Formats: sequence, structure tokens, C-alpha cells
Amino acid sequence: MMDRVDKKLRVESSRATVRKLGMDFIALLVALIFLFPLYWILISSFKTDVEIFDKNISFWPRNFSFSPWVTQLNDNDFLFSLRNSLIIAASNMVLSTVLGCTAAYGLARFKTPGKRVIILVFLVTQMMPGSLLLTPLYLMFTKAGLLNSFPAPVMAIATGSIPFIVVIMRPFFLSLPKSLDEAARIDGCNAFTSFTRIMLPIARVGLVTCMVFCFLHGWNDLLYSMTFNVKTAMRPLTANIYKFMDKYGTKWNQIMAYGAILVIPVLVIFVGLQKYIIGGLTSGAVKE
Amino acid sequence: MQKLLMRKRDQLTGLVFVLPAILYMLVLMVYPLVYNFILSFRNLTVMNFKNNAAVFIGFENYLNIFRDKDFQQALLQTLWFTLACITVQFSIGFVLAVFFNAKFHLAKPVRGMMLVAWMMPISVTGLLFKYMFLTEGGVINELLKVFGLMFGSPPGWLIDPKLAMWAVIITNCWIGIPFNMLLLTTGMSNISADIYESAAIDGCTVFQKFFLITVPMLKASILSVLMLGFIYTFKVFDLIFMMTKGGPLNATEVVSTYSYRQSFTLFNFSVGSASAIILFVCLMTVGVFYLRMIQKDEAM
Amino acid sequence: MKKLVVLFLALSLLLSMTAFGVAAEGKVELSLWHYFGTDYEYSDGSIFQKDIDNFNAMQDKVHITYEFVAREDLLRQYQMGAMSGELPDIGMVDNPDMASYIQMGVFADITDQLNAWGQLDQFFPGPLSSCTQDGRIYGLPHNSNCLCLFYDVDMLEAAGQKVPETWSELREVAKALTDPSVGRYGLAISAVKNEEGTFQFMPWFISAGGKLEELNGQGCVEALTFLNDLILDGSMPKDIVNFSQGDCNNQFISGNVAMQVNGPWNVASVKELAPDKNWAVALVPRADNGVHASVLGGENFGITTACKDVDAAFEFLKYLMSKEVSADFCEVAGKFSPRADSTASKDIWVVDPIFSVFADNMQYAMPRGPHPRWPEISTAISVAEHEVFLGAKDAQTALNDAAATVKSILGK
Repeated sequence: MMDRVDKKLRVESSRATVRKLGMDFIALLVALIFLFPLYWILISSFKTDVEIFDKNISFWPRNFSFSPWVTQLNDNDFLFSLRNSLIIAASNMVLSTVLGCTAAYGLARFKTPGKRVIILVFLVTQMMPGSLLLTPLYLMFTKAGLLNSFPAPVMAIATGSIPFIVVIMRPFFLSLPKSLDEAARIDGCNAFTSFTRIMLPIARVGLVTCMVFCFLHGWNDLLYSMTFNVKTAMRPLTANIYKFMDKYGTKWNQIMAYGAILVIPVLVIFVGLQKYIIGGLTSGAVKE
Repeated sequence: MQKLLMRKRDQLTGLVFVLPAILYMLVLMVYPLVYNFILSFRNLTVMNFKNNAAVFIGFENYLNIFRDKDFQQALLQTLWFTLACITVQFSIGFVLAVFFNAKFHLAKPVRGMMLVAWMMPISVTGLLFKYMFLTEGGVINELLKVFGLMFGSPPGWLIDPKLAMWAVIITNCWIGIPFNMLLLTTGMSNISADIYESAAIDGCTVFQKFFLITVPMLKASILSVLMLGFIYTFKVFDLIFMMTKGGPLNATEVVSTYSYRQSFTLFNFSVGSASAIILFVCLMTVGVFYLRMIQKDEAM
Repeated sequence: MKKLVVLFLALSLLLSMTAFGVAAEGKVELSLWHYFGTDYEYSDGSIFQKDIDNFNAMQDKVHITYEFVAREDLLRQYQMGAMSGELPDIGMVDNPDMASYIQMGVFADITDQLNAWGQLDQFFPGPLSSCTQDGRIYGLPHNSNCLCLFYDVDMLEAAGQKVPETWSELREVAKALTDPSVGRYGLAISAVKNEEGTFQFMPWFISAGGKLEELNGQGCVEALTFLNDLILDGSMPKDIVNFSQGDCNNQFISGNVAMQVNGPWNVASVKELAPDKNWAVALVPRADNGVHASVLGGENFGITTACKDVDAAFEFLKYLMSKEVSADFCEVAGKFSPRADSTASKDIWVVDPIFSVFADNMQYAMPRGPHPRWPEISTAISVAEHEVFLGAKDAQTALNDAAATVKSILGK
């Protein structure tokens, strides 16, 4: 009897292994197809100016060249731009997460009056195309003397990040059980400390996701930073894209190198926080 | 009486939490809205700019815009683009979310790597795909050739008006799928595994589990993903501007590129504002609809 | 956690303040925005910046700080600056665009200062007209250029062809030089849907006798039909609707096209990136029954209405457009001086085999506009081009539509 059960278990476990291997294979296929463009951006950045325009496409550089990377990194403004990108991205992350999470929490856990209107306001403010917010925001920042500064682009970018966080985090906060609230009150917390000491740590997972989103939003911004900050010293990395699209034609290898450089810091942060983002996501926020 | 006080206190606390963000948004967004609104009712162009000679012309801009064939095309294309992208992104994103939720070795790493597509700046992605979609010298056509999928001459993805929209849709989906996947995964992580176990004991099939447990419990997440996706896709600007600038022959023109062109290239400032307001109103309608849907779910 | 946040914000503020430099004492500080590229040592941006550095060094009353602002970005800044008053003191602008910005009040009227300077008579009328509006002058042309036919000598010889002079000859030569087996086309021009496309179309329709006021006239139709015929022949790639002039040049350098119509700013890059290529230039082929024609390009500089010290800025302008500085700049940068005396002072435009051809072609170069609504006119033209090249309409219909638009613009 035990033998038969044993055998059944073993068959089942090997079936499970085969299934898992099958899924691994499919995953690999999906990854290959989906990530091919990333491969392309990488190897294109190592091609020479001439090879880029060759009609016979090479899947591996014929003349491996570091020159596009050298050009990028040698750029006088590179370090400045890097610093600016970091500042803008980090500031947006802080500003948007703080404002967005508190708002999401308020909407989810309390009988806030006018909830519908408030959510509508958040949604509605998302609905103006960025290119048309440009001129009025520009006029506002001019009057406030904020041109060529960091607050200007950060504040503009945050108008896009905050509603996003509200819409994403609200269902998250809604799903936290009321029992947590009561337990916190019993422990002597008021609404605010209950938020910071109990809820936030539990929502840590979603929080990190939001922070990553906001950081990226700021890091990837082009239009606002470019428009409000004209001084090269105040511009982020994204604004340099126009250097490679001038009247000497589009230099694809330079652009690909530039794109790769823009993504690398993001990848580094992402890999470092992967534990939180990916690991945390599957363990769920609710621990019964 | 005690209950009423508690309720009031509850409401006030909620308001305090929400107020900073709301005030922030109102301060920064009211002026732009009003500015564009007013501008759309005047006839400001390059010619009357200096002398401030623009006059109030009522709804004339709006009427002219709706009569403009280019705008009609742009509006239709915006709708088509949005619906196509949302459908593809959401369905594939959902399938992948479910797929990668299973426990096999490569699940987490691959899912993580796919997010990079979404993390790249859109300007760079746009240029990358522009490069890949080149008729001659583009790797996509090369791959089609290599895999024997090329029938006749290489398709001119970005120069054939019939194909350009597809190229842009494909690119946008590439960016959007990981985003959809991630948000749905976050939602799925909130569903306790116990529910699935008891369903399995009750004899549910995979499909039943999906449609009777996963989908209903994800309703809030699904709605927010669809809503956000709709807004961002409808508003799309950076991607199309980088890849095609709305061409060829307006084949990829959307309302936001039309608007930009009117304001910044042709100096028809009022027309630009009016078309942006139209975009806004379209999105408002969808937003109100979204609100109705979530209102039904939660006790508001 | 909160402490960290505060610390971080404070740090960012501190860092942001380090970005601002300290202004020099006693000098008039002026800002200048330009979009000259600084890719190569010989590129116009590098020389231009040297000119400014020299100016700063040789006197101590005015100090100019320059910023590179990409062209599209710069035009947007001008537009918003017109509303907000946030403009640089001195600004660069492409010659057909200037009229619109003058109309918007971006550039200041400096007619009186120019007349006092007394050197206006040295300037060629074509370039100077782009700075003028209603009889007043708002800036000075800085450099000019025109289009010529670049051709690969070896490829021509290998196919037993001689340099084309008329359109019929061009059609033949282009066809002979097209070789699908190596993916080579005979000719490339830029037909991208913006100012560059219009710029490249101008020589063709002017040569055939076309007029802007009558875009659907016989000359324009002939020109557009001819160019489309080249595509239909297979001698020109359809991709030209997406080719900027820089892209055309890259195709020429890599040998993917045997001939191109392009400007003198590309000469240096062809020489550097394809040093072994045996190539030359010729006048743009003329219509069989038409005249030689080319189009006038180039950039202007103006003092903006936000400038608080116009006289100081004008000192710089006088320096920049003095006979010697203009001549030196244009010689190295591969451009042409808008001054007659500068042009006469250098050998390169007479002796150099490439630049002498361009110099010759300059006499046929026609300006675009000037008209404050030029962008709309330009759009109508490049849209018509696209419609024909992509097979959506035939030349006459496309140009009928374009002509209607342009007539309504010019009529006002």
C-alpha cells in the first residue's frame, strides 16, 4: 500500500518537474522574443558609424567599437546631467510618494466626504496632454522665478506621478483588514501614527513599487526638464538626446549607447531592490 | 451622539490625509486648464500675437476643428490606437501575469527582466524601434527574411501609411505589457492561496478557478489598470512624436500630435488649445464612467 | 525615515545651488542661444564658440555666455519666451523661421543701429531679406548655404556616364547607377515632412519656372512629377520621405546612394568618414527647358526684445559679422558669407574644386519667403510631396490642394 502511494507521489512529482521544465522553456522563449530589442540596443551601441548604415545587417558587431560609449562618457556635460537626473528622479520619488500615499490612504480607510469628486479630480488632472500643459506651467514658473531650477521640472513631473500612485495604492490600502486598525488603536496610536508605524510597513511591498515608478517617471522625463531648464548645466541626461539627431543625421550607434547608459542605473537600482519588488509581490500583503 | 462625533472625526481625518495632494494638484493644474480653456475661445495666431489683437470667437475653433479632415482622422486613429493597445496589452499582460505566478525556476527572473521594457525612457524606446523598423537596414525585416516570413518586398513599416500604425501599436504594446503584467501580479498577490486550495478540494477546474475566483477578486485592480492604461494611451505623444511625428501622411496622427503641431509648428495657438480640450473632454467621459463602476463595488 | 527625507531634500537644494556660477564684476553679461553642433572640431559649433571666446577676451565691457539649445527646442523656447519675456539676449534662428518670430515680437528692431554702422551695403539682398519686415531690420544673416549635386566619380565612370546637367540626363544617369543587387540607389534627396523637405524641393520647382503663388502651375507640377518618376523608376528609394538631409549624407557616405542633393556643411563629414571616396559636386540639374536654381539656407542672429542692453549686444553683432570674422568662420565651417567683401577675400570659394561649385550655385539660390506664416506654407508643400511620393494623389491634385492653402495664406 505504501509502495503504491510512494510510486504515485513519485510519478506526480516527476510530472510536476516536467511541467516546470516545460514552463521554464516557454518562459525562456518569451524572454528571448520580448527582450530581443534590448539585445539590439546593446550590440548596436558597439558598432562603428559605418557599420550602422550597412545594408547587410550584422547580429554581432563586425568591428567591435567602444567609441560610441567613449563619446557619451567623455561628454563634458555627462556628470552634470547624471547628477541632475538623479536629483530630479529622487525628488519626484519623495514628493509623489509622500503626497500620493497619504491621499490614497485617506481615500481608502476613512469616510472622507466627496470621495467621488476627489478621485475625479485626480483622474481629471491626468487627462491634459503634457505638451499643452507646457505653456501655462512655463508661464507660472516664470512668474515664480523657478526657471532653470530643480523644483520646476520636479513639480511638473509630480502632477503625473501623484494621481498614478493614488489610483494604484487605493485598492491596496482597501484590502488591508480593519482588524489592523483596531489593533493599532488599542496599542495607543492615533490615525497618523497608525499610518506610519503599522500600515506603511505592511504595505511596504506596494510602497516600494510606487517609489520605483516615481523614480523612473522622473528619470525618464524629457519634455518638462527640457522646457523649464534651458541651461545645459541644469539639464538631465534625457535632454542630451537631441545632440545625436542634428543635421549630421541620426547616429544610431550613439543613440543606442546613450539609451543603454540611461537604462543602466535604473537596472542597477531595480536589481538591488528586486527582493522587495518581485519577492514581496508574490508573498502578498495579507498575512492571516 | 458618540457615534456621530466619531463619524465626523473619521471624515475629518480622512480629509486631512487627502488634502495635501489635492491642494497640490489644484494649484498646479487649475491655471493650465483655465488658460487653455480661455485660449480655445479666442483666435490667437502668430499674426495677432504681438498686438494682443486676438478676439473672442466663441465655439468657432471647435467647429472648424471638427470639420477638419485631419482632425477627424486623428481622433479616429487615437481611438483605434487606444483600443488596440489596451486589448493586446491587457490580455497578454494578464496571461503572462497568471503564467509567471506559477512556481517554476525561471518565473521570477524572467518576469523581472521583462520589466526593463517599461523602464526605458519612451524617447529611447521610440528611437530604438524606429531603427528596428527601417525598411532596409532594420532588423525586424531582416528577422522576417531569416525566418522565411517575408513575402515580396520588405514592408516599409514607417513609410507605408497602411503599416505605420501597426508599427506604433506594436511598440506601445511592448512597453505596456510588462506594466499591465506587474499591476495584475500585485493584485493577484492579495488573493490568499487558501481560496484556491479550497476551490481545488471542491473540484474546480483551472478555468473555473480563473473566471470564478481570480477575475472577480481582481476587479479593482483590473479596473484601475484599464482606466490608467486608457488615459495614458489616449494621451500618447512622446512615442509617436519620436517614431513618426504623426506621419506618414497623417497615418499615425493622434489628437495630441495634432494639438502640438497646431500650437508649436503652425502657431495656431487657439486651435491647439481647443483640440487639447477636446481630448480632455473625451477622457473625462471615460473617467466618469470608471467612477460609476468602482462606486458600485465599494461603499462610497 | 522623516529625518532622512529632510536631509535628502536639503542636500538636493544645496547641490542645485552649486549649479549657478558667479557673474563677472563690472561687465555687461549677455546670454546667447544657438544650435550649432559641436560634434567635430571643424563643425560650426566649435568655431562659433571660439569666435565668442575671442570676443570676450579682446575687450572687457561685454561678456557673452553661450548655450547650445537644439533647434526644435530653441524654437519652442522663443515661442514661450514671447509670452513670458524669458528670452536670451541674443538668439540664433533659421532664416525662413525668423519672419514668424519677428511677427511675434521676439526680435528687436535694430535698423537704426545698423544704419549707423554703415556696412549694410556689403550684405547680399537675399540673406538680408530674411531679417527684414515692413521695411525694418531685426537682425543680421550669419551664414548662407545652398544645395548642390554630390556624386561619386568612380560609380559614374564605372557606368560610363557623365555628370548630368538636365533632368532628362539625371533620370538616365540615376537609373544607370541603380544596382539592386548591392542595394544601391542612383539618387537621394530629403523629402521628410518638415522644413528640410520643403528646402530640398525648392530648387526643382524654381528651375521649372514654378511660383509659390501658383503652386499648381505647370512648373511645380512638372517638378513634382519628375521627382516621383525617379522613385517609380526605382532610382530613388521611397524611404526619402523619412530621410533628413543628414540621413541622405550618411547614405551617400556608406555608398548606398550614388548621388545626393545636399549642402556644403556635409563636405567635412564626407571627407572625414569616407576619405577614400572619389567624389565631386555639380550644379543641381536644371529642368530641360528651365534655368539653374538652388535654394538659400543659413542662419541669422538677432537681438531679442528681452535684452536690456541693446548697444552692448550690438557690439557683439558687429564683431560677429565683421568682414574678417565672417570670412574666417565660413571658410572653416564650409558655409558662405552673406557679405560680398568677405566672399571676395578668400580663395577657397574660387579655387577649391568643391566649394567653388557651391559658390557658383549661390547666385541662383532663392530665399524662402520671408513670410510670418511660412511654416504653414512649408507644411502645405511638404504634404503635397508626401502625397505624391506615397502614391496617395497625383501631382496635379496634390498641388491643387496645396495651392489653395497657400493662396489663402498669402492673400491675407
